[in-house]
Amino acid sequence: MLANYQWSLIWEHRVDFLNGLKVALEVSFVAMILSVVAGFLIKIARISKPPISWLGVAYINVFRGVPALVSVIWVYFGWSLLLGINFTVFQAAVIALVALYSAFIAEIYRSALEAIPRGQREAGLAVGMTRLNVFMRITLPQATKIAIPNIGSMYIGMVKDTSVFTIIGLLELTRVTQNINSVTFQPFVLYTAAAALYVIAAFAIDFVFRAIEKTLTTPPKGRIAHALHGRRRRRVEQVIRDFQTGAARA
Amino acid sequence: MSDATPIESHASRHDRSVVVELRGIRKSYGTKEVLHGVDLTVHAGEHVVIFGPSGSGKSTLLRTINLLEEPSEGSVRVLGVEYGPGLGGKAKRGGPLQLRRHVGMVFQQFNLFPHLTALDNIARPLRSAKGLGREKAELAAASALQQVGLLNWAAHYPAELSGGQAQRVAIARALSLDPKVMLFDEPTSALDPELVGEVLGVMRLLAESGMTMVIVTHELNFAREIGDFNVFMDEGLIVESGPRGFLDTCTNPRTKQFLAAVL
Repeated sequence: MLANYQWSLIWEHRVDFLNGLKVALEVSFVAMILSVVAGFLIKIARISKPPISWLGVAYINVFRGVPALVSVIWVYFGWSLLLGINFTVFQAAVIALVALYSAFIAEIYRSALEAIPRGQREAGLAVGMTRLNVFMRITLPQATKIAIPNIGSMYIGMVKDTSVFTIIGLLELTRVTQNINSVTFQPFVLYTAAAALYVIAAFAIDFVFRAIEKTLTTPPKGRIAHALHGRRRRRVEQVIRDFQTGAARA
Repeated sequence: MSDATPIESHASRHDRSVVVELRGIRKSYGTKEVLHGVDLTVHAGEHVVIFGPSGSGKSTLLRTINLLEEPSEGSVRVLGVEYGPGLGGKAKRGGPLQLRRHVGMVFQQFNLFPHLTALDNIARPLRSAKGLGREKAELAAASALQQVGLLNWAAHYPAELSGGQAQRVAIARALSLDPKVMLFDEPTSALDPELVGEVLGVMRLLAESGMTMVIVTHELNFAREIGDFNVFMDEGLIVESGPRGFLDTCTNPRTKQFLAAVL
């Protein structure tokens, strides 16, 4: 039976598969960047005074509950009619993902900020920093480090969710697989390949986010982090030398 | 520690200018009132020690001085900047930011910023709060680290410092802003016993340099040595207060009972 499976199809269509994966990663990457920005703004809205905070809460609760398939149909066919804009499939896919994932990322930011000990904020205020300064310089950098692994998970989720954008004809990995299947009739072989590519992408994304997380760890852990922090360390050492020579001259 | 020379403040309490004045401070969390109307005056160069059982409101009182706790009633005045709901005219009120510029604070848990090096822990606030340029801030930070004997640790992160070193960096951070009064909220309570000495040593030097200090502490031997004015608090009120030697001359039975239990 196994002889009927033409595993060589995967190699024959390798360029198509990889292009499909590339589209999936591109859509997700743009969507992730925009979701982090939008999620952050929604989080700010949420902690603002009413009625703005109500808008934040409403947004989070509504959009966390919408499936990606519904979201993209709504954007591609609904919004385009309503606004009179013809979104490209790429644009529609990005908007659909941002609408959903910004709600999740707002929640990720909220829990990350809540994880920062109260003493950090108090210490910032006690040294005479403004609330905004304390937020930007003290709590946000620490919260970002906490949020990074969860944002990585969101990115993996986005890549997988691009598969439903088959419905609007986005040539991502699943659509490409469908197209090849429609002429070769080898679903087991082709979808196995597609699944494997999604898994490999997830591993790669996880690896990248772990590296980012490590570089943000203080003291730094790992080789990449050490290389990046080395600059800072050398700079501090230079300051100390400057200080000592200055003190010696005085 | 008790055989160390006591650090004298040479003038009597009242010939010195007032640095901190708390009047009628009340503080409530919801319906629970934790400070029931407390007055406290701190003069320039004076070392005020506040002690008492946990839950007595001593930390809350200390944190009212730099408005980390906003008083529900009463007013806080630091070097002419006055703040609080107890004031009549709005014009008299200064912002908390203005008031905090004169006040340095050291916390029980150090509260160093874990994502910054020891140097940046000091330089960052100097840049943000005092508007210093990067180079000036970093040189000032180096100077502050030198004062506490940690210049060689400038490039290290808080996680790489011992508790005693971390607390000394925290003291340097507060001092770098050139405060007129330093607040210490149980600065040695989170330290391993063998590390307490180095922190108290830095505080002792600071006291000798004439810094005005308000210290909440359980280190009663240190309090005896350093305290020009001693305050015993219980259940949100000052029970008894007195000058140097207070630990031996106090009369209130509640104070005596507490001292007997801890000494």
